[in-house]
Amino acid sequence: MTPLELFAQQLANGLTLGAIYALIALGYTMVYGVVQLINFAHGEVFMAGAYAAVFAVLFVGVSGAPWGVALGVAVGAAVILCAALGWAIERLAYRPIRQASRLNAFITAIGMSLFLQNALMLIGGATDRQFPAIVPALRWEVAGVTVTLIQLLVWGSAAAMMAALQWLVMATRLGKAMRATAQDLTACLLLGIPVDRIIAVTFMAGSSLAAVGGVLFGLQYGTINFHDGYLIGMKAFTAAVLGGIGNIPGAMAGGLLLGLIESLAAGYLSAQWKSVFAFGVLVIVLLWRPTGLFGERVADRA
Amino acid sequence: MKLAHSTQHTAHSRGWKTLFAVCCLLSATSCGPRERVVKIGFVVPLTGDQAPHGEDMLNGAMLAIEHASAQGPVLPGYRLALYPLDDQRNPTQAVTAAKKLVADPAVVAVVGHLNSSCTMPASAIYHQARLLQVSPVSSNPQISRQGFDTFYRTCTTDDLQGPAAARFVVKELGAKRVFILDDMTTYGRGLANEFEAALHRLQAEVVGHEGITQGDKDFAPLLTKIKSFGPDLLYFAGMFPEASLLIKQRKAVGLAAAFMGSDGMFEPALIGLATPQAAEGVYLTTIGSDIHQIPTAQAFLKEYEQRFGSIGAYSAYAYEAASIAAWAIRKAGVPDREAVLAAIKQLKDYPGLFGLQNFDEKGDSRIRDVGVFTVKDGRFQFVKTASLN
Amino acid sequence: MTSASSANSKQQTANSKSLLSAVCCVLCAIGALGLPIVLNAYHIEVLTSALIYALLALGLNLIVGFTGVLHLGYAAMFAIGAYAYGMLSVYGRWPFWLGVPPAMLIAGVSGVALGIPALRVRGDYLAIVTLGFGEIVRIAFTNLEQWTGGPNGLLGIGHPQLWLPGRGLFNFGVASSPYYYLTLLCVLIVAGLSVRLSRSRLGRAWIAIRDDELAAACMGIPVLQLKLLAQGLGGAVAGLGGAIFAAKQGTITPDSFDFILSVMVLAMVVLGGLGSVRGAVLGALVLGTLPELLRGFDQYRMLLFGLSMIIVMRLRPQGFFGGFRHRRHVHAA
Repeated sequence: MTPLELFAQQLANGLTLGAIYALIALGYTMVYGVVQLINFAHGEVFMAGAYAAVFAVLFVGVSGAPWGVALGVAVGAAVILCAALGWAIERLAYRPIRQASRLNAFITAIGMSLFLQNALMLIGGATDRQFPAIVPALRWEVAGVTVTLIQLLVWGSAAAMMAALQWLVMATRLGKAMRATAQDLTACLLLGIPVDRIIAVTFMAGSSLAAVGGVLFGLQYGTINFHDGYLIGMKAFTAAVLGGIGNIPGAMAGGLLLGLIESLAAGYLSAQWKSVFAFGVLVIVLLWRPTGLFGERVADRA
Repeated sequence: MKLAHSTQHTAHSRGWKTLFAVCCLLSATSCGPRERVVKIGFVVPLTGDQAPHGEDMLNGAMLAIEHASAQGPVLPGYRLALYPLDDQRNPTQAVTAAKKLVADPAVVAVVGHLNSSCTMPASAIYHQARLLQVSPVSSNPQISRQGFDTFYRTCTTDDLQGPAAARFVVKELGAKRVFILDDMTTYGRGLANEFEAALHRLQAEVVGHEGITQGDKDFAPLLTKIKSFGPDLLYFAGMFPEASLLIKQRKAVGLAAAFMGSDGMFEPALIGLATPQAAEGVYLTTIGSDIHQIPTAQAFLKEYEQRFGSIGAYSAYAYEAASIAAWAIRKAGVPDREAVLAAIKQLKDYPGLFGLQNFDEKGDSRIRDVGVFTVKDGRFQFVKTASLN
Repeated sequence: MTSASSANSKQQTANSKSLLSAVCCVLCAIGALGLPIVLNAYHIEVLTSALIYALLALGLNLIVGFTGVLHLGYAAMFAIGAYAYGMLSVYGRWPFWLGVPPAMLIAGVSGVALGIPALRVRGDYLAIVTLGFGEIVRIAFTNLEQWTGGPNGLLGIGHPQLWLPGRGLFNFGVASSPYYYLTLLCVLIVAGLSVRLSRSRLGRAWIAIRDDELAAACMGIPVLQLKLLAQGLGGAVAGLGGAIFAAKQGTITPDSFDFILSVMVLAMVVLGGLGSVRGAVLGALVLGTLPELLRGFDQYRMLLFGLSMIIVMRLRPQGFFGGFRHRRHVHAA
């Protein structure tokens, strides 16, 4: 393995991890963009998606079916459950306190995260669970770099999801309503925009992205644990901030950048310091651009 | 102003009411029926990421209590009960749980904790309260060097496991260049350091030693780097969730080096999680010999598997520790902590699961077997016992 | 005339109210002093932990409650205090009472250092910087094995000793009640100082910053210096808590100072009511003892803990003691 091949392989490693971070970061950023809430429970929604996929695949019994169908079942189940979960979380926990301070919402989000994490443990078991290998383990050698089918799926879905989301927010009526809600909730109410429904849809869309992320995460690593949502969620949240929270291309860039930093730090420097490098870069980037890479200069909020 | 003031007043009284309601709800839950019981405290992580190990151990300990009680009351007129507490593998929680056990006069012995990082601070509290502690699997050698006469353990320590593993990889597997990984815990780092020191003594080359983070999923970059160093063996001291990912991802990045792990990996789930293909040919050491190979343990094994499914890595150790604690209480004859401590000193050739159990002056088990296992055809297969006696 | 008399009666109500709350506090303190006689060692241990949380909540209240900086890395200050005393004790054999001031100083200076990004970074972005700082500190303590003992933790930290007339040198050891009294004393002192501060010129300036930073700056309040001061003081209080914690445990490991701890302390401050001193103490006592009280529910314990956080936030968005003084802030956000 030449140094150049090694570097290319490390880039591929980093982009895979980064694409998963990015998919989850998109959900954080969407919700934040509309209601300025750090939805701390988003990582748990992501994990719920992975568990839903496992149970769906075991329940439907897709052995024998082509892998595309199996993947469809897994993603479908995950998306339906997570969208419902996202809706329920918003309706039951966040909507009643929308008028209260953002710190309250933050504490509620933490409570929700603890609740969901332990609910997942009770439902899915405390042990690591095997994620069914529904996608064939195909791999190719391209110029000395090994690329798997799952990696291609991860990259493809991340890019497609971001494009779809960007289109939804920028080019549709619904997206316009979302952006309006983000700017001035009260004015939207006056104009007859169904703010409650818009916010619910935002939560459901963000949660669906997390569901896809959960399935891809399960495919890539093969094992899932109720605790993963917290760890991956925190990194994805960091990625969203790195890119400029509330900004869709920013979440994508932040996710990829964070994945690359972690991989290159682990690959060339030290695996045990990799999170320090990741957070170190975050601090430096924010000192240089206080609202993240793609963030707009917004009015100060305490 | 008047209006605002009264609003504030109501707001405050409502604050008190909410608080009061919460308190009432909670105090209602902390009462229980009274009966004459003597308790063995049992502290392991029952929630959090190591809950699977904790649950396996709880099953083992419950079975031990049942078996002990089936031989007639441990103390005349008393019911023997297990008092399980959760330490969440967090040392602070471990101390709180330890103080809770110490404060309950019915507790005359403790079985626990799982993690060396928890056993360490808790052992000082048990020692001060003159409470017998039998740790099933905390294998860090430092713990028994504190000189506490209340501390006993039923497993082999890491200053034996590490060198035994090193000797095996050098002499039997012929490894010359070894890369070491650990999970940065009291257990993993301690064991990996013992292993590394032994490798140096055996004049094998250590090409690197790095730590990973518990709960991490993506080891591809690290393994790609290790591959570029070209070691012929990768050693990992840690628990099975991370081990299974390392085993699997090592294949994905095309790292051909052999893989050797520690007792934290000895969990049947490992093979499924790592996939049987990737796990094939992986070696590991255990803190005791193979339970399946010991004729006297077969009855226990059969009953355990009937009741709880496949046996976990530490179930048998928890059974052994709880059985010994119950033995000491029976021997003492009275529900008194000092009497139990005096009783366990008389323990000699206790017929345990792993053979005749005796303790040395530090409280460590004299059974110093290190088992070596490999994965063959998707199952753990016993290779040999590396006895150090 | 009318306005003057109304102001006068308001003054009287305020006086009688503050007298009442002072009497309440004194009664609570007397009750707290007697608790170790009534309760067993475990209860006292749980209360001591809750009181250490109360110290942390009081410190964080200075930062979040008074100046409105969302801080998600407060566990790092606690860790720095704990390790500072721990290392002085283990390597330098410093006695506890000598080790506390440097521990507070180092934690305070770190607090100020962490405040420096606040020169440029604001709001939720600053919150993430503090989160990152907290993680960096924890990982550094784990990795710097040669000094901190790494994941094994720092072993053999000295317990406090006190010379008592007639009884000679008394070592706190691993008993619970001496630490209980020590922590109670510290909580009372810090709470008292916080109340004094909140009514001082400085406290009013802080609250002005929290409620509207721009307006405060326009009024000539040196916003940056005061924010840094709050972070420094908050850090020092965490350092004090850390030193007591290290002395009480005898062993400290980096995983005692994780992100969840930062979040818990923040939840205590918010639950008690932002900026309210007695709220911070009460929030800490409630959230600090809740997991222990819920032990009977076994696996459902943390589930119920999360659920109770959601319910309390829904029933009392302003916390137990969030007064109308902060109402404006609540809506402004």
